Amino acid sequence: MITAEQKPMQEIINCIAPYDRILLVGCNECVTVCSAGGRKEVGLLASALQLHFLKQGKTLDIKEVTLERQCDPEYVEELVNYMDQVDAVVSMACGCGVQTIAARYREKAVYPAVNTKFMGASERQGIWAERCQGCGDCVLGLTGGICPIARCSKRLMNGPCGGSTKGKCEISPDVDCAWQLIWDRMKALGIEKRYEEVMEAKDWRTSRDGGPRKIVREDLAS
Amino acid sequence: MMSLKKKMSAGEFAVMAEMHTPKGVDISEIVTNARRLKGRVDAVVIPDMDNGIMHMSALAGGVLMKQQGLEAMIHVYGRDRNRMALQGDLLAAHVLGISNLLVVRGEEMINGDHRDARIVDDLDEVGILNMIRTLQGGLDLAGFELKGAPEFTAGCAIAPVVDDAQLAAEIESAKKKVAAGAGFVVAPAVFDMAYYAKMIEKLKPLGVPVVATVFLLKNVGMARYMAINDPGARVSEDLITRIRKAPDREAECVRMAGEMAAALKKTAQGIKIVTLGWEHRLPAILESAGL
Repeated sequence: MITAEQKPMQEIINCIAPYDRILLVGCNECVTVCSAGGRKEVGLLASALQLHFLKQGKTLDIKEVTLERQCDPEYVEELVNYMDQVDAVVSMACGCGVQTIAARYREKAVYPAVNTKFMGASERQGIWAERCQGCGDCVLGLTGGICPIARCSKRLMNGPCGGSTKGKCEISPDVDCAWQLIWDRMKALGIEKRYEEVMEAKDWRTSRDGGPRKIVREDLAS
Repeated sequence: MMSLKKKMSAGEFAVMAEMHTPKGVDISEIVTNARRLKGRVDAVVIPDMDNGIMHMSALAGGVLMKQQGLEAMIHVYGRDRNRMALQGDLLAAHVLGISNLLVVRGEEMINGDHRDARIVDDLDEVGILNMIRTLQGGLDLAGFELKGAPEFTAGCAIAPVVDDAQLAAEIESAKKKVAAGAGFVVAPAVFDMAYYAKMIEKLKPLGVPVVATVFLLKNVGMARYMAINDPGARVSEDLITRIRKAPDREAECVRMAGEMAAALKKTAQGIKIVTLGWEHRLPAILESAGL
């Protein structure tokens, strides 16, 4: 999923300070799962903002909506009836959601209330970790199901480096060495031989380096 | 010979010529071409990986110019180097005698010859100009003090524009670059001299010297290609016909570049002559322009 964290309160306050009527929009997808911008967080943020502005002597009118999916124009359309009742929109979705709203409602300023972080997975309750950088040419089949691009600090394709100690990365004892994990997994699978194969310099065209990306499915596109 | 910096600050007309480093280590051609320019240009501009094509770095090209007794100006851009590498190279450039920088936007990697390479883009042009100013102030971008600060004359480039609206946007962007320390601007090549003069006038309020680009059209094919693919260059049908009908097309192309250079002497504060591989014809262009 796409993970996110709420922005510092002061930053959100600064963005909306000039406005009296705000539409606060959550998303039922990834940001709900990582507890950053779902219905619950929308309610909490709305209360916190109202309280803050009340202390300043201003009654902030906040309308709360949580869409099924903010990155889908079909759901974003549901906001149309709110737009003449608000001065600005604050989105608690990832950057994809913010931009879908901005593209549809051009006359309204849209502010993000969360920082979109990474594509990650839940390690345990309350902990998410980066797992994928969307390079567009998956190498997990060659690396025992562990991604060196997302998980090796140096993005080495032929690791580990000299900074790998007792399975940990030199940048922090809390960070696993991805290449240690890859090696352990290859051994467990009985495919250590594969480790000896030199991985070629990666072709980054399929990643962001090839320019902003788009998927066009002719069979589905209308 | 007066330095480029002094010449520009004195308001005198400056002549620059672009020269490319080799793709490889055979420097005979660039050195021979450089020798022919000695005493004839104020600086040689060395692009870095121009058009996204891997070449010997501009830093080395600049040093080669110095060795031939020429002042050098090297391109600086952020596509291939992060702020660490950029700063390190600029410190190196200073100690190797390169004092002029042209901050440019690198060609998209996908249009170059190493399309599979990863893009850095840590700093944009404004970021690089700010970085240059920071280094000149004796600090690096992390705020640490330098043991000896470099000195540079840095400029920026104006991108090709197709109309006045795009030019207005480019001027807005150039304002930021001048505020960040660009001491001159290099205008893109335009073949319609009347339009070019107007463009240069519009750039003058930026308050820094405007250097015009003289671009050598090498043949009919190139002229036609530019007419179609680079509308901002305003290559007219008349210009193409002039080359086509000339008894000696190559000489005509050189003459045309010379005429442009001479015409721009009246409107710009300097020129940069771009010959894309025909650097051996630079002396002939200068001669034709009376420079």
